[in-house]
Amino acid sequence: MQTLENLLFGLEVALTLQNIAYCFIGCVLGTLVGVLPGIGPVATVAMLLPFTFNLGPAPALIMLAGIYYGAQYGGSTTAILVNIPGESSAVVTTLDGHQMARRGRAGPALGIAAIGSFVAGCIATLVVAFFAPPLAEIALKFGPPEYFSLMVFGLIAAVVLARGSVIKAVAMVCFGILLGLVGTDVNSGVIRFAFGAPELTDGIGFVALAMAFFGITDVVANLEESGKSDVYKERLGNVLPSLNDLRVSFWSIMRGTALGSLLGILPGGGALLASFAAYMVEKKVAKPPRSFGEGDIRGVAAPESANNAGAQTSFIPMLTLGIPSNPTMALMIGALMIQGIQPGPQVMTERPELFWGLVASMWVGNLMLLVLNLPLVGVWVRLLAVPYRLLFPAIFVFCCIGVYTVDNKIFDIYVLAALTGVAYVLLKLDCEPAPLILGFILGPMMEEQMRRAMMINFGDVTIFVTRPLSAVFLAAAAILMLLIALPSLRAKRDVAMQE
Amino acid sequence: MHIRSPRDFWSGLIFIAIAAGFIIGAQRYGMGDMHLMGPGLFATLVGLLLAALGAVIALRALAIDGPPVPRFYLRPIAVSLIAIALFGLTLRHLGLVAAVAVVVLIGALASRESRPLEVAGLVVLLAVFSVAVFVWMLGLPIPLWPDA
Repeated sequence: MQTLENLLFGLEVALTLQNIAYCFIGCVLGTLVGVLPGIGPVATVAMLLPFTFNLGPAPALIMLAGIYYGAQYGGSTTAILVNIPGESSAVVTTLDGHQMARRGRAGPALGIAAIGSFVAGCIATLVVAFFAPPLAEIALKFGPPEYFSLMVFGLIAAVVLARGSVIKAVAMVCFGILLGLVGTDVNSGVIRFAFGAPELTDGIGFVALAMAFFGITDVVANLEESGKSDVYKERLGNVLPSLNDLRVSFWSIMRGTALGSLLGILPGGGALLASFAAYMVEKKVAKPPRSFGEGDIRGVAAPESANNAGAQTSFIPMLTLGIPSNPTMALMIGALMIQGIQPGPQVMTERPELFWGLVASMWVGNLMLLVLNLPLVGVWVRLLAVPYRLLFPAIFVFCCIGVYTVDNKIFDIYVLAALTGVAYVLLKLDCEPAPLILGFILGPMMEEQMRRAMMINFGDVTIFVTRPLSAVFLAAAAILMLLIALPSLRAKRDVAMQE
Repeated sequence: MHIRSPRDFWSGLIFIAIAAGFIIGAQRYGMGDMHLMGPGLFATLVGLLLAALGAVIALRALAIDGPPVPRFYLRPIAVSLIAIALFGLTLRHLGLVAAVAVVVLIGALASRESRPLEVAGLVVLLAVFSVAVFVWMLGLPIPLWPDA
């Protein structure tokens, strides 16, 4: 069993005292920041990025992963207790979770979320361990045309599965690609779109871009709303769900895990889509009596399991193909690049300690989350009482310091300010930021692969459809576009996203 | 001509403007041909696609009804931008402690709910925290005080 051996090797890496410590710190920090209302996983990971700069690649990645699922879990706590989803993938959790809280069952809701996430995390880790290596092997055989078409497919899938207008999302992807091209062209050495600013020769800082679109702009949007939230103030009571709760939720957790693992692998899928889909399915297939929307524990168990499973399996395309399936993964790629590692299928063979260490650390991290969340949930709850007027200046500080410390360039802070202005206008016009971030990361790679493909094929663009695998990717992208253009399916998707 | 979906209409125009900017900018960088693609070609192609999408979005907005552009609240966004820019300026000349103080003091103005005493407390707390964590604990090279 090669996989088992690899997992053991990974455990060796993950279980060094140092890496356990980073995994732990990551989980704690992630939960801590993720619990705060109005701060999603992307902003959390971006803000905490500076904590990993001085670590090696493996500890950095382990810690970032811990931050990610910590933030994910923290968002659920907020969703249940305050009815404000800390992040979009916790939106569904608010439906039944907050209802449970209002009926005095906040404890079991939090408990089942933690247990469901733990089970899902363990299973999804196995999925990653078994599916990533064969995928990487296939990916190693990809030539430039396949890579280009795969990225097109990935971007289209991400756009179609996300919410909002598809055509505007594709436009945002294009804008992202163009922003990604700013800076020195690796092929010719020409400095592009730098407006004569020498600071832009290395391109626009990715952290600055992510913070502008997901950190500062969110703060501004929250300040504009400044609605009063419905904080849960009573005593939590016992967080352990009863045996009956566990029995009722068992299959919901399993279904959520399966669905989440599957959807997490898809580009654009990840946690958000997984939790929505799991809730929809649960409403249909759960055994009666059903009381969804009125505090059915299965309405918490399924989406929470699904979003954790999805969060974990969304690492698969990132680790094997170097292609981010959501903005958080784009940040991970950015973080790896800062560490001097180009993500892709070669990582698994060239840096096995990185890959298997991360996979094994997911297990460790999930255990830590369980330990952190069941007994410590009271501490997180107290954090929720911190008013937003005290939080947002802190977000400014962490965003500014975070952006500066990437390269120690003051200029990046001005870039942050400028991009925030752009992000704000786009937000007001209802243009989703996630596609832009994906385009930004993939843009330079797409250009590179397209150039290579054209070079080996003497400028004949038909190569993208005459190579079978490449043709399959493009056909899949086209089918997705057609499907979403069908009014009936489109309506269904919009309904699913709004519920 | 009647704009029926203002949000889409304006985003379409903005996309066209962005595309135009990049296409015009790209013309300086050499196109090459499809075999040996120059540094300007890919940007031009993507720019053309973006312009086309922008045009479709804008034209569609003349035919299909959509929601109006939500109100722009000047205070939060303007104050945030100014606070961040001032953080950069202050950090360059006066170091981290002053920069944190500036971004918190100015940034707090973004919300009407901020209270003077709390903000003062935040300044101290965040300055101490930033210095302790980022500089002392993590050892990140950030200047603390003004250069002599």
